[in-house]
Amino acid sequence: MVFSSVLFLFRFLPIFMICYFLVPRNMKNLVLFLGSLVFYAWGEPVYIFLMLFSTISDFVWGRLIEEYRGEDRSRIFLLCSVVINLFILGFFKYADFLLQTVNTVFGTSIPLLGLPLPIGISFYTFQTMSYVIDVYRGDTKAQRNILQFGVYVTMFPQLIAGPILKYHQIEKYLQERRSDLDAISYGAKRFVTGLAKKVLLANNLGLLWTQISSLKNDQMSVLMAWIGIVAYAFQIYFDFSGYSDMAIGLGAILGFHFPENFNYPYIATSVTDFWHRWHISLSTWFKEYVYIPLGGNRKGLARQILNILIVWTLTGIWHGAGWNFLFWGLWFALFLILEKLFLGELLKNAPVVFGRVYTLTVVLISWVFFALEKPGEILAYLQAMFGLNGVGLMNTQAMFLGNEYLVLLIIALVACLPVGSLLIHRLKSSKTGPAMALYRVGEKVIPAALLILSVAYIVDASYNPFLYFRF
Amino acid sequence: MDDKRNALLTVGLICAVLFILGIADLCNSDRIYSETENRVLAPRPTFSWESLLSGEYGDDYEEYMSDQFVGRDKWVGIKTRADILFQKKEINGVYLGADRYLIGVNDPQEYTEQMEDSRIASLKKLVNRWDAKVMLVPTADNILTDKLPAFAPHYDEMRLLAKVKESVGEEHYIDVYSALQEHAGEPIYYRTDHHWTSLGAYYGFLAWADNMGKFPYPYNMAGMKTVSEDFQGTLQSRINVAWTKDRIQYFPETEKKPVSITYDFADKADSLYAPEYLETKNQYGFFLNDNHAFIEIHTGYNPGKTLFVIKDSYANSMIPLLAAHYETIYVVDLRYFNGKLFQLMEQYEPEQGMDVLVLYDCIHFLEDFRFY
Repeated sequence: MVFSSVLFLFRFLPIFMICYFLVPRNMKNLVLFLGSLVFYAWGEPVYIFLMLFSTISDFVWGRLIEEYRGEDRSRIFLLCSVVINLFILGFFKYADFLLQTVNTVFGTSIPLLGLPLPIGISFYTFQTMSYVIDVYRGDTKAQRNILQFGVYVTMFPQLIAGPILKYHQIEKYLQERRSDLDAISYGAKRFVTGLAKKVLLANNLGLLWTQISSLKNDQMSVLMAWIGIVAYAFQIYFDFSGYSDMAIGLGAILGFHFPENFNYPYIATSVTDFWHRWHISLSTWFKEYVYIPLGGNRKGLARQILNILIVWTLTGIWHGAGWNFLFWGLWFALFLILEKLFLGELLKNAPVVFGRVYTLTVVLISWVFFALEKPGEILAYLQAMFGLNGVGLMNTQAMFLGNEYLVLLIIALVACLPVGSLLIHRLKSSKTGPAMALYRVGEKVIPAALLILSVAYIVDASYNPFLYFRF
Repeated sequence: MDDKRNALLTVGLICAVLFILGIADLCNSDRIYSETENRVLAPRPTFSWESLLSGEYGDDYEEYMSDQFVGRDKWVGIKTRADILFQKKEINGVYLGADRYLIGVNDPQEYTEQMEDSRIASLKKLVNRWDAKVMLVPTADNILTDKLPAFAPHYDEMRLLAKVKESVGEEHYIDVYSALQEHAGEPIYYRTDHHWTSLGAYYGFLAWADNMGKFPYPYNMAGMKTVSEDFQGTLQSRINVAWTKDRIQYFPETEKKPVSITYDFADKADSLYAPEYLETKNQYGFFLNDNHAFIEIHTGYNPGKTLFVIKDSYANSMIPLLAAHYETIYVVDLRYFNGKLFQLMEQYEPEQGMDVLVLYDCIHFLEDFRFY
């Protein structure tokens, strides 16, 4: 099930919330767990057993690690857990990719498995790994209650698209949490904002990207190619951060406090800065569980560069089993390393606008690798962006689409900047009557209006893609 | 206290939307067919463990809920209004043109050269065997170019028609493109529907007569009769907001002499028009009783002359004008006819032979023109 569907909004969500708030405190985890299973099973009934296996397996490993803390065995248990997790992930996500690569390189024809990717597998295996590692390090106690642990792994708000929760961030809420009215009001607004970002902005701009990316090469003018990739940049940002908003909002309603996942990434002044603002829960995961254990920046420059390359290779293929994703990760590694070496210093002394333009250029080009899969397509698109395909600066189709989406692109641009939250903050903190009144009315009318508008777009949706089927 | 009331109101409003609509939807009964969207809506999926386990049931159920959601038509309207607010000029495959014209979008990407060539090859077979005349009517996006939104892409039918003309030969090709272009300023297309009007069909008829070397029956343009002033066609349905209303007219001369018609070998009628359709959403069905696989028309004109028409719905408003030139007209619509075309034609061909006319709009020609 996805959040942006009639089924979720008008059946699952109301029924779930009624049950959740009606049952006594000690039953809430059970309701959340069962609700999450229904949510997950709706589209993937069979893979639910994989998720449950993963849950039970790491619950047991966690207990064993704690039981034998300090002994060699504890290390072996950790290894077992990590190997099982990586095996599951590898088998379901990367097996076909590897087989295909073997087939191409050696000219063999080993049949592919053709397994559909279990939704959310990259998210929940990372969560369970975070748990056993936290236990091993002694950062946290092993969970004694399998239901609480089950809730941590399967919780539907962030199950399929993050944010990736680290166990130590969430542990205390599994046991004891309160939903007060303020949190519920905040959560409801946050959820609707996310829904609107996904349905109104991401889906509509996604439509533009689909139109442009399906054009033949001889129609791809420079303007067209740039409009297209900007549309894609907006689509993936609003889609992803919209999902995170919805997850964080639902979490708040249920009494959790999820970490933020995005922080206005497109205003970043360097690529390093960008990755402090984009999919924060993933980059901090890799930082905490891979980069720092590898030695981070404490073992000399050469080792640091190697560590960066390792982390970004992993980050790349985490996003999908394909060479283009690997290349996408390494593309970022390149600029992160350059920034470590000298570029960062240079940017610090230059006007901020340079940093922004440079970062956006790097990021927009990266989306070409990300969005298109075949090397030929990627190359052709890059050629079009830089006017090397001979179509020219613009054509009538680009003018039409530019015109058609101008208003939406401007809205998306404004929504990428912190102006909205700044405005809300100003209104909220002002003590004057009119500003306060404006805020009070706005906080009620705008979410309700956005919700209704989103429903209209969902009901009449010929286009409501789910971008994370590769993650 | 004030803060608490505020939060309560905020949550209450959002919950109200979800719960009221949710409950309204539960009480809403399912529809089989959407008249406004002109399509069959997804029915409630039948449950089986097998379909549940494959995930198919879940997917079908989502589609079902979305299709049957309470007030579906209203939601489409809200979306259109928002799109208009966003300054969109293309909504659900319809251009919002100047002068309140809705114009169907025909994406140039969708119609490949291969598609063109395969249709033209079929057409050529037909023309060679039957010495047929070919009349492919351009759609509104190619003729009302000044009404299109700025830079709006559209499939170039002129290029298609040049290819057709070259392939079937000039003597078989009726140039309705130029005829319509000459009158582009007149109401030759409906504003809310993808068909041409009776006036457009009349100019098509003149082009036909010219090509056939016939003296056209003298229809009086000033004497056209209006049968409806509130026609809202297929294009309006797609955007589903109040837009404008079209007028349906016809030439009363076509009713001067009695006709006898047989639809699909069974249903008899004595008029080229079916006023009962004016009471439905599909008012264009007024012409020739909407679409039928096979129609047989007998008139009191020109004894011994026979015409065989292979057509789509564009022809429905022009065939009445042809009635004055033939004693017998056979009409076949390939979208609904599954038999062998040439066999059917041989069966109905009189000894003295018959004229054959292929009458399509360019887009339906590309999409639907195939026979066995």
